[in-house]
Amino acid sequence: MGRALIRPIVIMGAMYAFLKFVLPNIPGSAEIPASLIILYLLLTLSGIIIFETLSAESKDAFWGPMQRFLTGENIGGLQPLRYGILVLFPVLVGWQTYNATAPSDSPPAENRVIHPAPPGEYTGLANPVPKTPENIMQGKGFYAAFCSPCHGANFDGKGPAARGYNPPPANFADPTTIAMLQESYLFWRIKKGGVGLPIEGMPWKSAMPRWELELPDEWIWKIIMGEYDGAHQTPRTWE
Amino acid sequence: MNPEMLTKWLIRWGGTAAMIAVLTAGAGDGVAQESVAVRAALVTGTLPLDDPNAAAWNNAAPAVFPMSPQVHWPERIQQVTVQDLTVRALHDGTQIAVLLEYADPTEDPDDAAAIEFMVGDKKAHFAHGQPMLLVEGGPVNIWYWKSKDNKGVDLWAKGFGTLRPHEHQDVKAKGEYANGKWRVVFSRSLATDHPDEDAQITPGQFINIAFAVWDGRKDDAGQVIEKGSQKAVSSWWYFRAEPPPDYSGYVYAGVAAVLALGFQFVLIRKLKEGQSA
Repeated sequence: MGRALIRPIVIMGAMYAFLKFVLPNIPGSAEIPASLIILYLLLTLSGIIIFETLSAESKDAFWGPMQRFLTGENIGGLQPLRYGILVLFPVLVGWQTYNATAPSDSPPAENRVIHPAPPGEYTGLANPVPKTPENIMQGKGFYAAFCSPCHGANFDGKGPAARGYNPPPANFADPTTIAMLQESYLFWRIKKGGVGLPIEGMPWKSAMPRWELELPDEWIWKIIMGEYDGAHQTPRTWE
Repeated sequence: MNPEMLTKWLIRWGGTAAMIAVLTAGAGDGVAQESVAVRAALVTGTLPLDDPNAAAWNNAAPAVFPMSPQVHWPERIQQVTVQDLTVRALHDGTQIAVLLEYADPTEDPDDAAAIEFMVGDKKAHFAHGQPMLLVEGGPVNIWYWKSKDNKGVDLWAKGFGTLRPHEHQDVKAKGEYANGKWRVVFSRSLATDHPDEDAQITPGQFINIAFAVWDGRKDDAGQVIEKGSQKAVSSWWYFRAEPPPDYSGYVYAGVAAVLALGFQFVLIRKLKEGQSA
Protein backbone atom coordinates (compact mmCIF):
# COMPACT_ATOMS: atom_id res chain seq x y z
CA MET A 1 0.00 0.00 0.00
CA GLY A 2 1.44 3.38 -0.98
CA ARG A 3 2.62 6.06 1.39
CA ALA A 4 -0.23 8.26 0.17
CA LEU A 5 -2.65 5.89 1.88
CA ILE A 6 -0.70 5.39 5.09
CA ARG A 7 -0.62 9.11 5.83
CA PRO A 8 -4.46 9.57 5.85
CA ILE A 9 -4.85 6.44 7.99
CA VAL A 10 -2.33 7.79 10.51
CA ILE A 11 -4.00 11.21 10.52
CA MET A 12 -7.46 9.68 11.09
CA GLY A 13 -6.12 7.46 13.90
CA ALA A 14 -4.34 10.38 15.55
CA MET A 15 -7.45 12.56 15.27
CA TYR A 16 -9.60 9.85 16.86
CA ALA A 17 -7.09 9.34 19.70
CA PHE A 18 -6.94 13.10 20.28
CA LEU A 19 -10.74 13.49 20.42
CA LYS A 20 -11.29 10.38 22.51
CA PHE A 21 -8.40 10.42 24.96
CA VAL A 22 -6.59 13.79 24.95
CA LEU A 23 -9.29 16.45 24.60
CA PRO A 24 -11.49 15.18 27.51
CA ASN A 25 -8.46 15.39 29.82
CA ILE A 26 -7.69 19.03 29.08
CA PRO A 27 -8.80 21.04 32.16
CA GLY A 28 -12.21 22.59 31.63
CA SER A 29 -13.10 20.12 28.88
CA ALA A 30 -15.41 17.09 29.00
CA GLU A 31 -16.08 13.74 27.35
CA ILE A 32 -17.07 14.25 23.70
CA PRO A 33 -20.23 12.46 22.51
CA ALA A 34 -19.71 9.70 19.93
CA SER A 35 -21.88 11.54 17.39
CA LEU A 36 -19.61 14.60 17.62
CA ILE A 37 -16.48 12.46 17.26
CA ILE A 38 -17.93 10.94 14.07
CA LEU A 39 -18.73 14.44 12.78
CA TYR A 40 -15.18 15.65 13.43
CA LEU A 41 -13.72 12.51 11.80
CA LEU A 42 -15.91 13.05 8.71
CA LEU A 43 -14.68 16.65 8.49
CA THR A 44 -11.10 15.42 8.80
CA LEU A 45 -11.70 12.82 6.08
CA SER A 46 -13.24 15.47 3.80
CA GLY A 47 -10.17 17.66 4.35
CA ILE A 48 -7.83 14.75 3.55
CA ILE A 49 -9.71 13.88 0.33
CA ILE A 50 -9.65 17.51 -0.83
CA PHE A 51 -5.94 17.79 -0.03
CA GLU A 52 -4.98 14.48 -1.64
CA THR A 53 -6.87 15.21 -4.86
CA LEU A 54 -5.51 18.72 -5.46
CA SER A 55 -3.12 17.56 -8.22
CA ALA A 56 -3.32 14.71 -10.74
CA GLU A 57 -0.23 13.02 -9.22
CA SER A 58 -1.46 13.13 -5.65
CA LYS A 59 -4.89 11.96 -6.83
CA ASP A 60 -3.39 8.90 -8.52
CA ALA A 61 -1.21 8.20 -5.51
CA PHE A 62 -4.27 8.41 -3.25
CA TRP A 63 -6.92 6.55 -5.24
CA GLY A 64 -4.57 4.21 -7.15
CA PRO A 65 -3.89 1.70 -4.33
CA MET A 66 -7.58 1.64 -3.40
CA GLN A 67 -8.63 0.97 -6.98
CA ARG A 68 -6.04 -1.78 -7.35
CA PHE A 69 -7.18 -3.34 -4.08
CA LEU A 70 -10.85 -3.30 -5.12
CA THR A 71 -10.23 -4.67 -8.61
CA GLY A 72 -7.82 -7.24 -7.21
CA GLU A 73 -5.05 -6.56 -9.73
CA ASN A 74 -1.53 -7.40 -8.60
CA ILE A 75 -2.39 -7.40 -4.90
CA GLY A 76 -0.86 -10.84 -4.21
CA GLY A 77 -1.39 -11.93 -0.62
CA LEU A 78 -4.08 -9.31 0.02
CA GLN A 79 -6.57 -11.23 -2.14
CA PRO A 80 -8.23 -13.07 0.84
CA LEU A 81 -8.60 -9.72 2.65
CA ARG A 82 -10.28 -8.27 -0.46
CA TYR A 83 -12.78 -11.12 -0.60
CA GLY A 84 -13.39 -10.74 3.13
CA ILE A 85 -14.21 -7.05 2.76
CA LEU A 86 -16.41 -7.66 -0.29
CA VAL A 87 -18.44 -10.17 1.73
CA LEU A 88 -18.42 -8.17 4.98
CA PHE A 89 -19.66 -4.90 3.47
CA PRO A 90 -23.10 -6.19 2.30
CA VAL A 91 -23.46 -8.13 5.56
CA LEU A 92 -22.80 -4.96 7.60
CA VAL A 93 -25.22 -2.93 5.48
CA GLY A 94 -27.88 -5.63 6.00
CA TRP A 95 -27.25 -5.76 9.73
CA GLN A 96 -27.45 -1.97 10.14
CA THR A 97 -30.68 -1.92 8.12
CA TYR A 98 -32.17 -4.64 10.30
CA ASN A 99 -31.28 -2.72 13.48
CA ALA A 100 -32.78 0.46 12.09
CA THR A 101 -36.04 -1.09 10.86
CA ALA A 102 -36.78 -3.95 13.30
CA PRO A 103 -39.77 -3.06 15.54
CA SER A 104 -38.86 -2.27 19.17
CA ASP A 105 -39.86 -4.80 21.81
CA SER A 106 -39.17 -2.55 24.82
CA PRO A 107 -41.62 -0.41 26.78
CA PRO A 108 -41.29 3.34 26.13
CA ALA A 109 -38.29 4.91 27.87
CA GLU A 110 -39.26 7.18 30.76
CA ASN A 111 -37.16 10.25 31.43
CA ARG A 112 -38.78 11.49 34.59
CA VAL A 113 -37.36 14.67 36.15
CA ILE A 114 -37.08 13.96 39.88
CA HIS A 115 -36.80 17.58 41.05
CA PRO A 116 -38.59 19.74 38.45
CA ALA A 117 -38.58 23.52 38.80
CA PRO A 118 -41.25 24.78 41.23
CA PRO A 119 -43.77 27.49 40.31
CA GLY A 120 -42.42 31.01 40.92
CA GLU A 121 -44.52 31.65 44.03
CA TYR A 122 -42.78 28.79 45.82
CA THR A 123 -39.19 29.93 45.30
CA GLY A 124 -37.31 31.57 48.14
CA LEU A 125 -40.03 31.33 50.79
CA ALA A 126 -38.56 31.37 54.30
CA ASN A 127 -39.84 28.98 56.95
CA PRO A 128 -42.04 31.26 59.12
CA VAL A 129 -42.00 28.85 62.08
CA PRO A 130 -39.20 29.49 64.63
CA LYS A 131 -36.67 26.63 64.77
CA THR A 132 -37.19 25.72 68.42
CA PRO A 133 -36.68 22.21 69.82
CA GLU A 134 -40.41 22.06 70.55
CA ASN A 135 -41.39 22.90 66.97
CA ILE A 136 -38.87 20.40 65.56
CA MET A 137 -40.19 17.74 67.93
CA GLN A 138 -43.75 18.52 66.89
CA GLY A 139 -42.72 18.36 63.23
CA LYS A 140 -41.23 14.92 63.79
CA GLY A 141 -44.50 13.83 65.37
CA PHE A 142 -46.47 14.99 62.32
CA TYR A 143 -43.87 13.29 60.10
CA ALA A 144 -44.35 10.00 61.98
CA ALA A 145 -48.12 10.23 61.54
CA PHE A 146 -48.41 11.41 57.94
CA CYS A 147 -45.11 10.82 56.10
CA SER A 148 -43.33 7.84 57.67
CA PRO A 149 -45.63 5.13 56.21
CA CYS A 150 -43.92 5.79 52.86
CA HIS A 151 -40.79 7.83 53.61
CA GLY A 152 -39.83 5.62 56.57
CA ALA A 153 -39.30 6.10 60.28
CA ASN A 154 -35.59 6.39 59.46
CA PHE A 155 -36.22 9.01 56.74
CA ASP A 156 -34.76 6.54 54.20
CA GLY A 157 -37.77 6.14 51.88
CA LYS A 158 -38.35 2.61 53.10
CA GLY A 159 -41.63 2.87 54.97
CA PRO A 160 -43.97 -0.12 55.14
CA ALA A 161 -46.21 1.33 52.40
CA ALA A 162 -43.35 2.14 50.01
CA ARG A 163 -42.72 -1.14 48.22
CA GLY A 164 -45.36 -0.93 45.50
CA TYR A 165 -44.82 2.67 44.48
CA ASN A 166 -43.00 3.65 41.33
CA PRO A 167 -41.45 6.21 41.54
CA PRO A 168 -40.35 5.22 45.04
CA PRO A 169 -40.80 7.67 47.95
CA ALA A 170 -37.82 10.03 48.35
CA ASN A 171 -34.99 8.97 50.67
CA PHE A 172 -34.29 12.09 52.76
CA ALA A 173 -31.07 10.64 54.19
CA ASP A 174 -29.66 10.57 50.66
CA PRO A 175 -27.57 13.74 50.15
CA THR A 176 -29.06 14.20 46.66
CA THR A 177 -32.61 14.84 47.86
CA ILE A 178 -33.63 17.42 50.49
CA ALA A 179 -30.01 18.47 51.16
CA MET A 180 -29.98 19.90 47.61
CA LEU A 181 -33.30 21.68 48.02
CA GLN A 182 -34.56 24.78 49.77
CA GLU A 183 -37.24 24.59 52.43
CA SER A 184 -39.62 26.42 50.08
CA TYR A 185 -39.23 23.58 47.53
CA LEU A 186 -40.31 21.01 50.13
CA PHE A 187 -43.21 23.29 51.09
CA TRP A 188 -44.40 23.22 47.46
CA ARG A 189 -43.97 19.45 47.09
CA ILE A 190 -45.74 18.59 50.35
CA LYS A 191 -48.55 21.09 49.79
CA LYS A 192 -49.37 20.16 46.17
CA GLY A 193 -48.26 16.51 46.23
CA GLY A 194 -47.83 14.27 43.20
CA VAL A 195 -50.75 15.77 41.29
CA GLY A 196 -49.07 19.20 41.52
CA LEU A 197 -45.99 18.14 39.55
CA PRO A 198 -45.38 19.62 36.09
CA ILE A 199 -45.51 17.25 33.12
CA GLU A 200 -41.77 16.43 33.22
CA GLY A 201 -42.29 15.07 36.76
CA MET A 202 -44.94 12.60 35.46
CA PRO A 203 -47.61 13.53 38.02
CA TRP A 204 -49.85 10.61 36.93
CA LYS A 205 -47.42 8.17 38.57
CA SER A 206 -46.85 9.83 41.94
CA ALA A 207 -48.66 8.59 45.07
CA MET A 208 -47.66 11.66 47.13
CA PRO A 209 -50.85 13.12 48.67
CA ARG A 210 -51.86 16.73 48.09
CA TRP A 211 -51.44 17.62 51.78
CA GLU A 212 -52.81 21.18 51.45
CA LEU A 213 -56.27 19.58 51.49
CA GLU A 214 -55.61 17.99 54.89
CA LEU A 215 -52.88 19.87 56.78
CA PRO A 216 -52.50 23.56 57.72
CA ASP A 217 -49.41 25.37 56.34
CA GLU A 218 -47.91 25.68 59.82
CA TRP A 219 -47.85 21.88 60.23
CA ILE A 220 -46.18 21.51 56.83
CA TRP A 221 -43.41 23.97 57.82
CA LYS A 222 -42.94 22.04 61.07
CA ILE A 223 -42.79 18.73 59.16
CA ILE A 224 -40.03 20.24 56.97
CA MET A 225 -38.02 21.13 60.07
CA GLY A 226 -38.56 17.66 61.49
CA GLU A 227 -37.48 16.04 58.22
CA TYR A 228 -34.19 17.93 57.98
CA ASP A 229 -33.39 17.33 61.65
CA GLY A 230 -34.32 13.65 61.54
CA ALA A 231 -32.44 12.96 58.31
CA HIS A 232 -29.38 14.91 59.58
CA GLN A 233 -29.46 17.24 56.59
CA THR A 234 -29.57 21.01 56.23
CA PRO A 235 -31.59 22.93 53.66
CA ARG A 236 -29.81 24.43 50.69
CA THR A 237 -29.44 28.19 50.98
CA TRP A 238 -28.36 30.83 48.47
CA GLU A 239 -25.53 32.74 50.14
CA MET B 1 -3.65 -18.87 16.59
CA ASN B 2 -3.46 -22.68 16.84
CA PRO B 3 -6.28 -24.71 18.45
CA GLU B 4 -4.36 -25.18 21.72
CA MET B 5 -3.72 -21.45 22.11
CA LEU B 6 -7.34 -20.69 21.22
CA THR B 7 -8.57 -23.09 23.92
CA LYS B 8 -6.31 -21.47 26.55
CA TRP B 9 -7.43 -18.00 25.47
CA LEU B 10 -11.11 -18.97 25.70
CA ILE B 11 -10.65 -20.51 29.15
CA ARG B 12 -8.77 -17.47 30.47
CA TRP B 13 -11.07 -14.75 29.11
CA GLY B 14 -14.26 -16.80 29.38
CA GLY B 15 -13.45 -17.53 33.02
CA THR B 16 -12.77 -13.86 33.75
CA ALA B 17 -16.04 -12.81 32.09
CA ALA B 18 -17.96 -15.41 34.10
CA MET B 19 -16.38 -14.16 37.35
CA ILE B 20 -17.27 -10.56 36.51
CA ALA B 21 -20.86 -11.63 35.72
CA VAL B 22 -21.16 -13.44 39.07
CA LEU B 23 -19.67 -10.50 41.00
CA THR B 24 -21.89 -7.89 39.36
CA ALA B 25 -24.99 -10.06 39.86
CA GLY B 26 -24.10 -10.34 43.55
CA ALA B 27 -23.56 -6.58 43.84
CA GLY B 28 -27.33 -5.98 43.93
CA ASP B 29 -29.30 -6.08 47.16
CA GLY B 30 -30.68 -9.53 46.41
CA VAL B 31 -34.05 -8.27 45.18
CA ALA B 32 -35.21 -9.91 41.96
CA GLN B 33 -35.68 -7.57 39.01
CA GLU B 34 -39.29 -6.48 39.20
CA SER B 35 -41.49 -6.63 36.13
CA VAL B 36 -42.28 -3.51 34.16
CA ALA B 37 -44.69 -4.93 31.60
CA VAL B 38 -47.38 -7.56 31.10
CA ARG B 39 -47.00 -9.13 27.68
CA ALA B 40 -50.08 -10.87 26.32
CA ALA B 41 -48.87 -13.62 24.02
CA LEU B 42 -50.72 -14.16 20.75
CA VAL B 43 -52.28 -17.63 20.66
CA THR B 44 -54.04 -19.46 17.87
CA GLY B 45 -56.18 -21.85 19.90
CA THR B 46 -59.11 -21.17 22.22
CA LEU B 47 -58.53 -18.47 24.85
CA PRO B 48 -59.23 -19.45 28.50
CA LEU B 49 -61.71 -16.56 28.80
CA ASP B 50 -63.50 -17.92 31.87
CA ASP B 51 -61.10 -20.56 33.14
CA PRO B 52 -58.48 -19.33 35.64
CA ASN B 53 -56.97 -22.81 35.87
CA ALA B 54 -56.72 -23.64 32.16
CA ALA B 55 -53.49 -25.31 31.04
CA ALA B 56 -53.02 -22.51 28.48
CA TRP B 57 -51.98 -20.17 31.30
CA ASN B 58 -48.82 -22.23 31.83
CA ASN B 59 -47.56 -20.90 28.51
CA ALA B 60 -48.14 -17.24 29.42
CA ALA B 61 -45.11 -15.41 30.84
CA PRO B 62 -45.82 -14.17 34.40
CA ALA B 63 -45.13 -10.58 35.45
CA VAL B 64 -44.94 -9.84 39.19
CA PHE B 65 -45.84 -6.43 40.61
CA PRO B 66 -45.38 -5.22 44.21
CA MET B 67 -48.47 -3.83 45.94
CA SER B 68 -48.76 -1.00 48.47
CA PRO B 69 -51.44 0.14 50.89
CA GLN B 70 -53.42 2.96 49.27
CA VAL B 71 -52.11 6.14 50.92
CA HIS B 72 -52.76 8.73 48.24
CA TRP B 73 -56.10 9.96 49.51
CA PRO B 74 -58.44 9.38 52.48
CA GLU B 75 -59.57 6.95 53.63
CA ARG B 76 -56.06 5.55 53.75
CA ILE B 77 -54.92 2.17 55.01
CA GLN B 78 -51.59 1.32 56.60
CA GLN B 79 -51.41 -2.42 56.03
CA VAL B 80 -52.78 -4.72 53.36
CA THR B 81 -52.84 -8.48 52.92
CA VAL B 82 -51.69 -8.79 49.32
CA GLN B 83 -48.02 -7.90 48.85
CA ASP B 84 -47.43 -9.15 45.30
CA LEU B 85 -49.58 -9.75 42.28
CA THR B 86 -48.70 -12.16 39.47
CA VAL B 87 -50.22 -11.24 36.11
CA ARG B 88 -50.42 -13.27 32.90
CA ALA B 89 -52.21 -12.41 29.68
CA LEU B 90 -53.12 -14.05 26.37
CA HIS B 91 -54.91 -12.79 23.26
CA ASP B 92 -56.03 -14.19 19.93
CA GLY B 93 -56.17 -10.96 17.91
CA THR B 94 -59.81 -10.38 18.87
CA GLN B 95 -60.21 -11.17 22.59
CA ILE B 96 -57.88 -10.57 25.51
CA ALA B 97 -57.74 -12.58 28.74
CA VAL B 98 -55.81 -11.35 31.80
CA LEU B 99 -55.16 -13.62 34.79
CA LEU B 100 -54.44 -12.14 38.23
CA GLU B 101 -53.01 -14.49 40.85
CA TYR B 102 -52.31 -13.61 44.48
CA ALA B 103 -52.01 -15.16 47.92
CA ASP B 104 -54.88 -14.54 50.33
CA PRO B 105 -55.09 -16.71 53.46
CA THR B 106 -58.91 -16.66 53.59
CA GLU B 107 -61.69 -16.85 51.04
CA ASP B 108 -64.20 -14.08 51.76
CA PRO B 109 -67.32 -12.87 49.90
CA ASP B 110 -65.88 -9.34 49.83
CA ASP B 111 -62.54 -10.34 48.29
CA ALA B 112 -62.13 -8.24 45.15
CA ALA B 113 -59.62 -7.28 42.47
CA ALA B 114 -59.43 -4.72 39.68
CA ILE B 115 -57.43 -3.77 36.62
CA GLU B 116 -57.11 -0.13 35.56
CA PHE B 117 -56.25 1.32 32.15
CA MET B 118 -55.96 4.86 30.84
CA VAL B 119 -58.62 5.85 28.29
CA GLY B 120 -57.66 7.91 25.24
CA ASP B 121 -54.40 9.73 24.56
CA LYS B 122 -54.17 11.83 27.74
CA LYS B 123 -52.27 10.53 30.77
CA ALA B 124 -54.51 9.72 33.72
CA HIS B 125 -53.46 9.73 37.38
CA PHE B 126 -53.27 6.18 38.72
CA ALA B 127 -55.66 7.07 41.57
CA HIS B 128 -58.95 6.87 39.62
CA GLY B 129 -57.70 9.46 37.10
CA GLN B 130 -58.02 12.27 39.62
CA PRO B 131 -57.35 15.75 38.18
CA MET B 132 -53.75 16.93 38.10
CA LEU B 133 -52.98 20.60 38.76
CA LEU B 134 -50.58 21.43 35.92
CA VAL B 135 -51.39 18.66 33.41
CA GLU B 136 -54.73 17.97 31.73
CA GLY B 137 -55.45 14.32 32.45
CA GLY B 138 -57.81 11.76 30.97
CA PRO B 139 -60.23 9.20 32.43
CA VAL B 140 -59.56 5.60 33.47
CA ASN B 141 -61.35 2.36 32.64
CA ILE B 142 -61.56 -0.10 35.54
CA TRP B 143 -62.34 -3.82 35.23
CA TYR B 144 -63.66 -4.94 38.62
CA TRP B 145 -64.39 -8.36 40.07
CA LYS B 146 -65.85 -9.27 43.48
CA SER B 147 -65.91 -12.78 44.92
CA LYS B 148 -69.58 -12.89 45.94
CA ASP B 149 -70.79 -11.77 42.48
CA ASN B 150 -68.04 -13.60 40.55
CA LYS B 151 -68.53 -11.48 37.44
CA GLY B 152 -66.82 -8.57 35.73
CA VAL B 153 -67.96 -4.97 36.09
CA ASP B 154 -66.86 -2.38 33.55
CA LEU B 155 -66.29 1.01 35.24
CA TRP B 156 -65.21 4.53 34.31
CA ALA B 157 -63.75 7.33 36.47
CA LYS B 158 -62.17 10.74 36.14
CA GLY B 159 -61.36 11.79 39.66
CA PHE B 160 -62.58 10.90 43.13
CA GLY B 161 -66.32 10.40 43.46
CA THR B 162 -66.85 9.96 39.72
CA LEU B 163 -66.64 6.15 39.59
CA ARG B 164 -69.61 4.73 37.70
CA PRO B 165 -70.43 1.55 35.79
CA HIS B 166 -70.64 1.76 32.02
CA GLU B 167 -74.04 1.47 30.40
CA HIS B 168 -72.47 -1.16 28.18
CA GLN B 169 -70.80 -3.94 30.14
CA ASP B 170 -68.06 -5.46 28.00
CA VAL B 171 -65.89 -7.10 30.67
CA LYS B 172 -66.22 -10.68 31.91
CA ALA B 173 -64.48 -12.01 35.02
CA LYS B 174 -64.31 -15.26 36.95
CA GLY B 175 -62.35 -16.13 40.06
CA GLU B 176 -61.47 -19.44 41.66
CA TYR B 177 -59.98 -19.88 45.11
CA ALA B 178 -57.72 -22.82 45.94
CA ASN B 179 -54.76 -23.53 48.24
CA GLY B 180 -54.69 -20.01 49.72
CA LYS B 181 -54.60 -18.34 46.32
CA TRP B 182 -57.05 -16.43 44.16
CA ARG B 183 -56.85 -16.82 40.43
CA VAL B 184 -59.10 -14.33 38.66
CA VAL B 185 -59.43 -14.11 34.89
CA PHE B 186 -60.72 -10.94 33.20
CA SER B 187 -61.64 -10.92 29.51
CA ARG B 188 -62.88 -8.48 26.90
CA SER B 189 -62.56 -7.81 23.18
CA LEU B 190 -59.35 -5.93 22.31
CA ALA B 191 -61.31 -3.06 20.78
CA THR B 192 -64.79 -1.79 21.66
CA ASP B 193 -67.28 0.61 20.11
CA HIS B 194 -66.78 3.11 22.95
CA PRO B 195 -63.27 4.56 22.70
CA ASP B 196 -64.23 7.50 24.95
CA GLU B 197 -65.00 5.16 27.84
CA ASP B 198 -63.06 1.94 27.24
CA ALA B 199 -59.36 1.28 26.98
CA GLN B 200 -58.58 0.19 23.42
CA ILE B 201 -55.93 -2.50 23.09
CA THR B 202 -53.95 -2.46 19.84
CA PRO B 203 -51.50 -5.36 19.36
CA GLY B 204 -47.92 -4.10 19.41
CA GLN B 205 -48.73 -0.93 21.35
CA PHE B 206 -47.66 -0.43 24.97
CA ILE B 207 -50.36 1.05 27.21
CA ASN B 208 -50.42 1.72 30.96
CA ILE B 209 -51.95 -0.73 33.42
CA ALA B 210 -52.42 -0.69 37.20
CA PHE B 211 -54.00 -3.05 39.73
CA ALA B 212 -55.94 -3.05 42.99
CA VAL B 213 -56.83 -5.87 45.40
CA TRP B 214 -59.13 -5.96 48.42
CA ASP B 215 -58.88 -8.70 51.05
CA GLY B 216 -62.49 -8.99 52.18
CA ARG B 217 -61.75 -10.36 55.69
CA LYS B 218 -63.58 -8.78 58.65
CA ASP B 219 -62.29 -7.38 61.95
CA ASP B 220 -63.56 -8.48 65.38
CA ALA B 221 -66.46 -6.03 65.11
CA GLY B 222 -67.60 -7.67 61.88
CA GLN B 223 -66.48 -4.78 59.64
CA VAL B 224 -64.69 -5.46 56.36
CA ILE B 225 -61.14 -4.06 56.78
CA GLU B 226 -60.16 -3.49 53.16
CA LYS B 227 -62.97 -1.68 51.35
CA GLY B 228 -63.42 1.29 49.02
CA SER B 229 -60.21 3.33 48.93
CA GLN B 230 -58.69 1.11 51.62
CA LYS B 231 -57.04 -1.42 49.35
CA ALA B 232 -53.74 -2.68 47.97
CA VAL B 233 -52.68 -0.77 44.86
CA SER B 234 -49.92 -0.87 42.29
CA SER B 235 -48.36 1.98 40.33
CA TRP B 236 -48.77 2.34 36.58
CA TRP B 237 -46.91 -0.34 34.66
CA TYR B 238 -46.99 -1.34 31.00
CA PHE B 239 -49.20 -3.75 29.08
CA ARG B 240 -48.86 -4.97 25.51
CA ALA B 241 -50.77 -7.45 23.38
CA GLU B 242 -47.92 -8.97 21.38
CA PRO B 243 -48.23 -8.31 17.64
CA PRO B 244 -48.06 -11.10 15.04
CA PRO B 245 -44.46 -11.98 14.14
CA ASP B 246 -43.01 -9.23 11.94
CA TYR B 247 -40.35 -10.39 9.49
CA SER B 248 -40.18 -7.10 7.59
CA GLY B 249 -36.83 -6.25 9.27
CA TYR B 250 -35.26 -9.33 7.64
CA VAL B 251 -36.76 -8.40 4.25
CA TYR B 252 -35.38 -4.83 4.45
CA ALA B 253 -31.99 -6.18 5.57
CA GLY B 254 -31.91 -8.64 2.65
CA VAL B 255 -32.83 -5.93 0.14
CA ALA B 256 -30.17 -3.58 1.59
CA ALA B 257 -27.49 -6.32 1.45
CA VAL B 258 -28.36 -7.13 -2.18
CA LEU B 259 -28.20 -3.42 -3.08
CA ALA B 260 -24.79 -3.14 -1.36
CA LEU B 261 -23.59 -6.20 -3.28
CA GLY B 262 -24.85 -4.66 -6.54
CA PHE B 263 -23.12 -1.39 -5.70
CA GLN B 264 -19.84 -3.25 -5.19
CA PHE B 265 -20.29 -5.12 -8.46
CA VAL B 266 -20.96 -1.93 -10.46
CA LEU B 267 -18.14 -0.04 -8.74
CA ILE B 268 -15.54 -2.73 -9.42
CA ARG B 269 -16.66 -3.12 -13.04
CA LYS B 270 -16.39 0.64 -13.57
CA LEU B 271 -12.93 0.66 -11.97
CA LYS B 272 -11.79 -2.21 -14.18
CA GLU B 273 -13.12 -0.41 -17.27
CA GLY B 274 -11.19 2.70 -16.22
CA GLN B 275 -7.99 0.70 -15.76
CA SER B 276 -8.23 -1.00 -19.14
CA ALA B 277 -9.11 2.27 -20.92
